Amino acid sequence: MSNVNGKRFLKPGKYLMMGNVAMAEGALSSGLKFFGGYPITPSTEVIEHLAKRLPEVGGCCMQMEDELASINAVMGASLVGAKAMTATSGPGLSLMTETISMAANIEIPFVFCDVQRCGPGTGFVTVPHHNDIGLTRFAGNGEFEVIAFAPMSCQELFDLTITAFNYAETYRCPIFILSDAYLGHIHEVVNIPPKEEILKRVIDRTIPKDTKGAKFTYEDIKTHKLTIPKPYIVGTEFCPPLIIHLPHNQDGILMPEENSLRFMKIMIDKIRDNIDKISLTEEYKLDDAEIIIISYGLPVRASYRAVDLARKKGIKVGIFRLITVWPFPKEKVKQVVAGAKAIIVPEMNYTGVIAEQVERVTDLNIPVIKVPKVATLHHPDDILKAIEEVAK
Amino acid sequence: MSDDVRYPSEKPEHPYFDSSFSGMLLGTLVSRFCGGCGYGSIGQLYTRVFEDEKLDPKLYPLVIGIGCYSQIFFLVHKNAQKMLTLHGRAPAVATGMKMANPKMKPIIFSGDGDCLGIGGNHFIHLCRRNLDCILFIFNNSIYGMTGGQAAPTTLYGAMSTTTPYKMFEPRSDGVELALAAGASYVARTTVAHPRTLMKYFKKALKHKGTSVIEVITPCVTYFGRKNLDNLGSKGEKGEIMDTGGKMFEWIKKNSIHINQAKFMSKEELFNKYIIGEFRYDPSKSEYSEEYKKIQNIAMKGD
Repeated sequence: MSNVNGKRFLKPGKYLMMGNVAMAEGALSSGLKFFGGYPITPSTEVIEHLAKRLPEVGGCCMQMEDELASINAVMGASLVGAKAMTATSGPGLSLMTETISMAANIEIPFVFCDVQRCGPGTGFVTVPHHNDIGLTRFAGNGEFEVIAFAPMSCQELFDLTITAFNYAETYRCPIFILSDAYLGHIHEVVNIPPKEEILKRVIDRTIPKDTKGAKFTYEDIKTHKLTIPKPYIVGTEFCPPLIIHLPHNQDGILMPEENSLRFMKIMIDKIRDNIDKISLTEEYKLDDAEIIIISYGLPVRASYRAVDLARKKGIKVGIFRLITVWPFPKEKVKQVVAGAKAIIVPEMNYTGVIAEQVERVTDLNIPVIKVPKVATLHHPDDILKAIEEVAK
Repeated sequence: MSDDVRYPSEKPEHPYFDSSFSGMLLGTLVSRFCGGCGYGSIGQLYTRVFEDEKLDPKLYPLVIGIGCYSQIFFLVHKNAQKMLTLHGRAPAVATGMKMANPKMKPIIFSGDGDCLGIGGNHFIHLCRRNLDCILFIFNNSIYGMTGGQAAPTTLYGAMSTTTPYKMFEPRSDGVELALAAGASYVARTTVAHPRTLMKYFKKALKHKGTSVIEVITPCVTYFGRKNLDNLGSKGEKGEIMDTGGKMFEWIKKNSIHINQAKFMSKEELFNKYIIGEFRYDPSKSEYSEEYKKIQNIAMKGD
């Protein structure tokens, strides 16, 4: 890329970018300083691009000995205050789960990119399969909530990565970006906004001015409301004397048993209470829709076409798109599907993880129709067929 | 025995009481280790060096792996920034910390099962990169925390709960591994030689590069109580090592200085610990400094 000026931001303008590269640039824009990774198709372009770009901005890109090491190095870097990230695919994700649960428990922010591929082992590495959706929700042992983004274009990979880093700093829980083999390798036009515009969006890692007294506490001293404090940084004043991966109390240090329930409540409720702020969704022609398509990621693109085709035939159909897959916006979905004739959930997996979530919150008499596809994209006709069958 | 006798209410007279974390937190010196364990001494020695050298806690974070020694945080210096990491992953966490903040010099506490068993890969690659940090391997030749299972370092012929007849696998040697992998300062000592341990620790603090210090420590509860001091070899009369004193004696007897070991045969050195300094190479390039050069090249380009 000739327009790289050796700095954190690309010159504003339009670029033809690969999905993985767009995500890496998004991360750099939001101030990425450490990347630990292990090569795994289809996520290799991320580490390749960052190996070149991160030293230019004074950061560090390390190719570690395995996935376990890369995620632990990312955690270590995040502990000392660097914005850190890793990218992998399904097999790497399953290795990393142990550290994900630990990072969630010590509430260390980091962003985790999962470029999903088909199958374990060697698998079909160049074809997409949204088979890690369930794994990301329940990654690791212990109780915690995660936030997962499902972008559908290269522009979104750029933009949502910045949002993901902001969420990591704010909510201090594992943040996933659920890309896939096709989205990661697709080349699309990405519009890079000017530096000032990006900087306005980015939340930086800072230590509070007053580090004494209300250190690491969740309870606002005046109002007694629970708040999410800024993440601590090892190597500064703003750090507890002991960082422990056990239920700890409000001061962030110890693990008395009576605090465990309260600790779990904090871990879960910090996401559940803020679900309205966290959850990003998109609506398309929903106002008079009788049939509702609920989807995320690449199948949404086919759904847009299918809806337009169906509307021409007079079928009232609309799309409710989940930009953040987890936490699942239960109340929002309930409102949207109230009174619908049917719900169609096109997903790139056979299980229908999100379809099950939709079934969980809808009335029993509303049919939830899965349109599964594995290792290949949805054709608009596939979804149109499902719409027409329901509309009969 | 009444509680008053076991836990005297007056403050114990201990030179480093005020510096220890448990002294600050609980007002009393708490050790969760069994009688005869060596980790108490190690925590104490760490605190002593920390105090003597006036280490800046912000630059010397303490990364602790998982094992019995995880409870050492009660005894180490109150100001040290300590973090408990996952089983075997402490070297990887330290790598991330060091590279994100190159001013730091992480001190890693790790055990034999932690570092040579589950985290062997991270250990090898830490040594290979020659990252500026200090890695302690506490070798008690048993998995103490889980109840006395065989470790990769368990000596031949020893009993453990997973080798109820006898240990038959060849043991792994942390020092040999570190030397082969390329660590620039490698030493082994025992808890029975505390001044040497402090000397090595102070030397490692001044050294730039990976310092691997293996410390042989006794485990009375799960190793000593179940083993004879001749480790079951035939024809010799052995004694069960059921006290800390006996185990210390055994460790001293079983440790041979490197200078002495040069003149001994392989058979004579079987099941023995060779102690001393194995390598001190300050000239070897350090990883974060090498990366700094890469950053300079990258920043210069267009």
